[in-house]
Amino acid sequence: MYFRCRNCGGNVVYSPERHGMYCPYCDSEKSGERAESGSNELTVCPNCGGEVPVQIHTSATQCPYCDSYLIFNERVEGKYAPQIMIPFQIGKEACKQSIREKFKKCLFAPTDFLSEARLDSMQGIYVPYWFYDYDTGCDFQGEGTKVRVWRSGNKEFTETSFYAIHRSMDINFQKIPVDASEQMPDDVMELIAPFNYGQLGDFSPEYMSGFYGEKYNMDSDVVENRARQLMNEDALKLLRESYGGYSTVRTIRQDVRVRDSKVAYGLLPIWKYVYRYKEQEYPFYVNGQTGKIVGTAPISTAKVWAYAGTLWASLTAVMALGRTLLGLL
Amino acid sequence: MDKDYKKEARRQYLRYFRIWIVIIMILAAACAGLAAVKAGGRSVERTNMDAPAERVYDYADVLTEEEEEKLRGHIDSVERRLGIDIVVLTIDYSVEGQDAKEQHGLRYTDWERNMQDIADDFWDQNRFGYDKGFEGNGVLLLHNWYAGQNGEHISTSGSVERAFGISEINKVLDAVDMYYDTDPYKAYKAYVDKVEELLSGSVPSIPWMVVVVVPIFVAVVYAVSHLSQSKAQKTTAVNTYVAGGRPEFRDKTDSFIRKSVVSRTIQTSSGSSSGGGRSGGGGHHRSSSGASHGGGSRRH
Repeated sequence: MYFRCRNCGGNVVYSPERHGMYCPYCDSEKSGERAESGSNELTVCPNCGGEVPVQIHTSATQCPYCDSYLIFNERVEGKYAPQIMIPFQIGKEACKQSIREKFKKCLFAPTDFLSEARLDSMQGIYVPYWFYDYDTGCDFQGEGTKVRVWRSGNKEFTETSFYAIHRSMDINFQKIPVDASEQMPDDVMELIAPFNYGQLGDFSPEYMSGFYGEKYNMDSDVVENRARQLMNEDALKLLRESYGGYSTVRTIRQDVRVRDSKVAYGLLPIWKYVYRYKEQEYPFYVNGQTGKIVGTAPISTAKVWAYAGTLWASLTAVMALGRTLLGLL
Repeated sequence: MDKDYKKEARRQYLRYFRIWIVIIMILAAACAGLAAVKAGGRSVERTNMDAPAERVYDYADVLTEEEEEKLRGHIDSVERRLGIDIVVLTIDYSVEGQDAKEQHGLRYTDWERNMQDIADDFWDQNRFGYDKGFEGNGVLLLHNWYAGQNGEHISTSGSVERAFGISEINKVLDAVDMYYDTDPYKAYKAYVDKVEELLSGSVPSIPWMVVVVVPIFVAVVYAVSHLSQSKAQKTTAVNTYVAGGRPEFRDKTDSFIRKSVVSRTIQTSSGSSSGGGRSGGGGHHRSSSGASHGGGSRRH
């Protein structure tokens, strides 16, 4: 499917700034209507009939001929239908601006790293995620000590008190996100979190117009271990926090039980900018909701030598001239 | 496209270093200007006309006529640049003991105090001093060549007295001692040169080693600090995915079981140390005519 403007026939896209559908051709708002493809072929653009390169997991892309944003029904419906999603809150221009802001002090990055032409190639992608809910019961039993030291005359006394510690708590974990995409690096997806779930809503294909998308390509049971690990770590940390204040604690028994669990499929917004430098790719990911940036700028060795070398030469010249000047005075 | 970026890179580079370029240009201009002024010959006007024109009194006769002439010429040019009188006085008689005291009308019997007196009195009586005849600016080197009493005394006056502390006087004496036993002329020339160096370089100059090493160090620190980038930090908290932000406690008990007390005796040590100090004095004093002089001697 794709969204067509009722007024001018142009491709209507979702605008994060306007929080709604809008036609970039005639500037009208809420004029989009859903148009379906006449063909069953995924690779044929329903608007212009051009051949669209579609990768195996792509759920939304752009036609290279007519620039229309296409959404593939069978990859957002049925078993691939997302239940929840956060629409993009940060538009491309704002995203470019925040990347510029973050890396403007990066003196040794290649000159065109923040150029308009390069930054314009960034893509907004709806990344498939599994969201796990865990209703847990956590117990801890241990022995803690508190130590008090005081002096009297020339004697030092050390008093050690022993306590029996019992903790039992219910922790209700909600929507621990794990990306369901093989392409997205797990460490980056962990760093780009958290998303603000206040803006989480039901899935609607309109939000995908104007962006790229992927259907899940890793099943929920394949990636669940990552959610369980995070749940377990956080539960143990919360237990530990609950018995702070002791000098030492010896664990006798601790236990995290999952009483109930649920999983939901959804999409989260991420901007991706890939900068190619000296035959290497430098990817940057920006949280499409919060604007958090993950990525490291490349370093131009020529610039490092030029700048550090010039600084060295300048400083030497200033000191040598200063010295000569002092001698002349 | 590539060309544009190269141009842009060059522009950014020049913009980045523009302040340095300006500073270097200003310093270079200042150096060139000062050097030109210096080459044009800066000289201080002499205001004391009472003193004799002679500066080299070689009573011990250790210099040849030719050497004396050269030394006079050298002293003359340095004097005008610095605005001080520079005198060399050599003697060859005993200044130590009762006999010497009586024979030469000295005030003391010890070598050092007599050397100081002779130098100061020679200065005062001849009314030396570039600007005036009493406490005027200048320096005198007295060298006694009498066998067994060989040694020098430096007497300073006026601006030189103010500029020279013990360490400067020792530097001048060191310069003289490098050559006095092999070539007296070289020794006295070294005295004149050292005085000039110390007075014209009165602003402590930066050692060349610092000029070479500091910029390398700064450039390395600069490069390293700009190479490091702030990496994205983990911003999820332990309770990010916990409903309500915190766990619900069903049980939270801490029950006291027992306690144990141990004690130990503290070893205390007493004692203190105190350091002593000795304050050194300068070489400032008054001569018999009441003029203030600085100075110092060295006996071989």
